[in-house]
Amino acid sequence: MLLHGAFRGFAGGAREVALDAANLGEALEALVHAHPSLAERLRDEHGKLRPHMALFVNEDDARLLGWEDAPLKEGDIVHVIPALSGG
Amino acid sequence: MAKKVAVLVGTKKGLYILRGDTNRQKWDVEGPQWAPAPIHHAMYDPRDGSMYAAVNQTWGGSRIEHSRDMGKTWTTSSNPKFPEGSDRTFSQTWHIEPGHPSTPNVVWAGTEPAALFKSEDRGESWAIVQSLDDQPTRAKWVPGFGGMGLHSIAIDAKDPKRMSVGISVGGVYTTTDGGTTWTQDNKKTGGDSERPDVFYCIHKLLAHPEESGLRFMRVHEEVYWRDPNETTWRHSTAGLPSNFGFAAAMHPRDRRTAYVIPLDGMTRAAAPFGIGVYRTQDKGKSWQKLEKGLPQGAPLETLREGMHNDRLDPMGLYFGTANGDVWASRDEGESWTRIAQYLPYVTSVHAAMVE
Repeated sequence: MLLHGAFRGFAGGAREVALDAANLGEALEALVHAHPSLAERLRDEHGKLRPHMALFVNEDDARLLGWEDAPLKEGDIVHVIPALSGG
Repeated sequence: MAKKVAVLVGTKKGLYILRGDTNRQKWDVEGPQWAPAPIHHAMYDPRDGSMYAAVNQTWGGSRIEHSRDMGKTWTTSSNPKFPEGSDRTFSQTWHIEPGHPSTPNVVWAGTEPAALFKSEDRGESWAIVQSLDDQPTRAKWVPGFGGMGLHSIAIDAKDPKRMSVGISVGGVYTTTDGGTTWTQDNKKTGGDSERPDVFYCIHKLLAHPEESGLRFMRVHEEVYWRDPNETTWRHSTAGLPSNFGFAAAMHPRDRRTAYVIPLDGMTRAAAPFGIGVYRTQDKGKSWQKLEKGLPQGAPLETLREGMHNDRLDPMGLYFGTANGDVWASRDEGESWTRIAQYLPYVTSVHAAMVE
């Protein structure tokens, strides 16, 4: 996984995390296991993924791939990106 | 060692710390920390020297940070959480308040959605005050223009079990048993209100730091005083150019003196009457404008957490504005100098006395 922008700071400066995961949900869980400080930055207290966060699998928006069910295969790169909106 | 003043300035793009010399004349500006995250409130806890900041960031969600080394390094607290099964989610922190001196590990936080959170480990973690959240009258709370938050936590000077909270728009609740039970505390004398059960909209509620039971409250278009042993709020706006405003402060020693910054209710700025700090020295019976050194007639804007005082003698008073200025008075409001400018929109000002 590649952490971008603010999320890199939330993980103590980590940029890249290598994980084994079959889908995006598992990857996020493993990411939090590796960097517990990300737990409350990725999800709210009810477990919902926070808004203003974009997840891409390689070059594809994970929302179009099934979001947390998006399948992953060896070598995929998941990008965690602070989302920008508005003008 | 002589006390100095550090002013914690929350802005819409990060936290700044203004560190003054012993005369409060020369100020060094540090920051920003966490920009571009908005800092709704930041405060210094005089009991142990900790600093706390409400970092209400879009990315990663809002959080509370604390520092044990005067702002050199910061640690993220475990977030305030609404209980499992609640239909509410912690959105942001509006105010952080040190506990009573007799409870050194206790810190309080007011949040949006409106709730009171208590930390018993100096801000490392937070738990909701369920007894307040369970009030049946919570169903009547509604958002004000800025949202629905608990923004005022007024802890009694002498009695650690006695405190009041102010909610927009939900009125005042008071506990006298340390938070086990709460009562609505909105009885008043004088003043208009469309919502007599909860006031129109409370903007700031303060407890005097030395006099038990003494309170001062800035409401949407009203100002109220309450003396010790009184059970109602006394309306008092004579002499103010506008009844509307947010910022408020109490003199830490003089039990008859308080300060407000009036704004126009529609424009939310000090127009057309111009920026000024208004002082009462008779418990709100009359108000006088203090503007020496301030830009005459300027339509500046201050927010709820925008004014605070130190506890030196003479008292220093500080306020920040939407155009990024921070103004200071070393003579209890009689005259003013600008101690910082070109900051982002100032959302909070907190004066800390440090070594």
